[in-house]
Amino acid sequence: MTVYPALRPRASAVCFHKEGAPTTTTDYRSQHAIGAAWKALYENGLPDGGFGLRPGGEFRPDSTAWAIIAMAAGFGEDKVAPACGRLCQAQQADGRVPLFPSHPDVVWPTALAAIAWALARERTKELARACDFLVAHSERRTAVDPSGPVSHAQAARGWPWVLNSYSWVFPTGSALLALNLAGHSGHVRASEAVDVLLERQLRGGGWNYGNAESFGQALRPFPDTTGLALSALAGHATAAAVARSLDYLEGEACRVRTPWTLGWALLGLSSWDKRPQSADDWIDKSLDRQQRLGSYDTNALAVLLTASAARRGLRGRAPEGRP
Amino acid sequence: MTPHDNPKARRSGGSSRRGVLGVVGAGLGIGGLGGWYHLGPNESGQRAIVCVAKAARYDAALSDVIARGLRELGVSDAEVRGKSVLLKPNLVEPFRGHAHINTHPLVVRAAAEVFLRLGAARVLVGEGPGHRMDTLLVLEESGLADVLHEDRIPFHDLNSDSLWTMPNKGRLTTLSTLSFPAVLHGVDLIVSLPKMKTHHWTGVTLSMKNMFGVMPGEVYGWPKNVLHYENIFRSILDICATLPPQLAIVDGIVGMDGDGPIMGDPKAAGVIVMGRNAPAVDATCCRIMGIDPARIGYLAYASGRLGTIRESNIRQVGEAIAALRTDFRLLDVIPAHRGLRLRKN
Repeated sequence: MTVYPALRPRASAVCFHKEGAPTTTTDYRSQHAIGAAWKALYENGLPDGGFGLRPGGEFRPDSTAWAIIAMAAGFGEDKVAPACGRLCQAQQADGRVPLFPSHPDVVWPTALAAIAWALARERTKELARACDFLVAHSERRTAVDPSGPVSHAQAARGWPWVLNSYSWVFPTGSALLALNLAGHSGHVRASEAVDVLLERQLRGGGWNYGNAESFGQALRPFPDTTGLALSALAGHATAAAVARSLDYLEGEACRVRTPWTLGWALLGLSSWDKRPQSADDWIDKSLDRQQRLGSYDTNALAVLLTASAARRGLRGRAPEGRP
Repeated sequence: MTPHDNPKARRSGGSSRRGVLGVVGAGLGIGGLGGWYHLGPNESGQRAIVCVAKAARYDAALSDVIARGLRELGVSDAEVRGKSVLLKPNLVEPFRGHAHINTHPLVVRAAAEVFLRLGAARVLVGEGPGHRMDTLLVLEESGLADVLHEDRIPFHDLNSDSLWTMPNKGRLTTLSTLSFPAVLHGVDLIVSLPKMKTHHWTGVTLSMKNMFGVMPGEVYGWPKNVLHYENIFRSILDICATLPPQLAIVDGIVGMDGDGPIMGDPKAAGVIVMGRNAPAVDATCCRIMGIDPARIGYLAYASGRLGTIRESNIRQVGEAIAALRTDFRLLDVIPAHRGLRLRKN
């Protein structure tokens, strides 16, 4: 069994670039749309400081974490501390933050909580416990049948959605992002996460849920997981190593208008100083689409608002000796 | 598309029933588990009706085709009037220009029209896409968003709902409970609306495998890895034992063969297959696809337990299978495809 080094307390390594979102939007219409989106986000807040997924919904740690991330990037600073406090109540003694108390193995929100606490510069003890949990837990591997449709070499360990299962791009990318933002980007688990993500990168660029090939055919990338992976790899990988993924994402960002995917596409590109000039217009168009698609939920709206405000993406400090 | 061979789960199973299942049961590793499966199959009381209807194109009058089919199955106004109906299409992973991956939006529209015409109090569509987290994008790219918007049909993202947890009635997996989206608790009829496809883990994906999509991704992951990890065959059986669909309507107008469920090729079968019993519907689809249902592990095991796959137990109405059979391409490179071809009479 691999024993991973424990984390040492670090000074905050957050390098989060707040821009005061609406001041950079191009016209009154955009400012109005962004303002309405913030209002809609706050309406999903609960009296105890937490957030639900939808208006009137119950507290959810993932929604609360997303709301904190957006507010830390943009507005609502007065709401950040109560939300962080409510999120702490969802944390268990070993540091995990399960999605529901009834499902303690569903631990993927732990990384989101750590990202939220790190960006908000709040709750350092809880942040440290969450990171301790992250580095102490990894996927559970099984022997991959070489004649099956999974192409992983499995040289390194990533993170699963749910304990005792396999690793995938979103939980691995979000755990790496959490370690980056908490100042642990040099930890061996961060290095392993980098290896896992680079291994799962598709030949033609981009990432999907986490499998690159099926019986010799390259699978298709998704813009949202590509944006997350690029956000997490910023400061770890060279531009050459992810060049095709950046090209892919630049093409997709022009096209996609759903809030979750557009938000992640913009965050991924911004993390590599490739924020498109039309980003604000696209965000505006995405918000307009609520007339057709219905009101966006907290998580999607928060990712879009984070992308609106975090013009250099979600970055942590690069470890020494890394690009 | 995920590792599903959990060695521990396999070890927990005995080998006594593997012999019964033969080659197809090897992936199942059944035995030594709780639940009702250990009682063994009983085919004596199993009878089912399956309707096969021709439908060459998506711009045909599909609602008439489905309405006629439901009448043949004995689905009456009284059975539907005032009820809540959830349609569960297969929207695993849309991709532009690849309509053969997902249940066609016009089949969803037609089914919704039929149930509303039969007097349903409400018809809603629900899906928890297996690969993609952005369900809105899935709706947009599959073309279903247009249909839902135009017809004002509500949609529920089954990946992120509050939970309704039930004891696992199958207990073939190690999961003692299964957590479903709470919206399923509030509906009267669940209609599985799959695409007719080959599948590189399970041989085929039809109305039973389609029920994977009701399991919330936020609890089971994207892909639904916990269920794959437990063993995909066992998971299909557990889900369908615990929450069986009351009806199945299979979009076989254009299906997928080869490396399904995502990377395969379009395959026109020109049919819609309907029935109340999911194993019987899936077995009939297999026969149309030129696949022996008795060699699909979970179907073989479901027969006599969740329904029947035996041709002699299924009353076929509508078109004759023999006239419609069109062999779906199976790939030697895919272990799950080997030995599935149905012999021609």
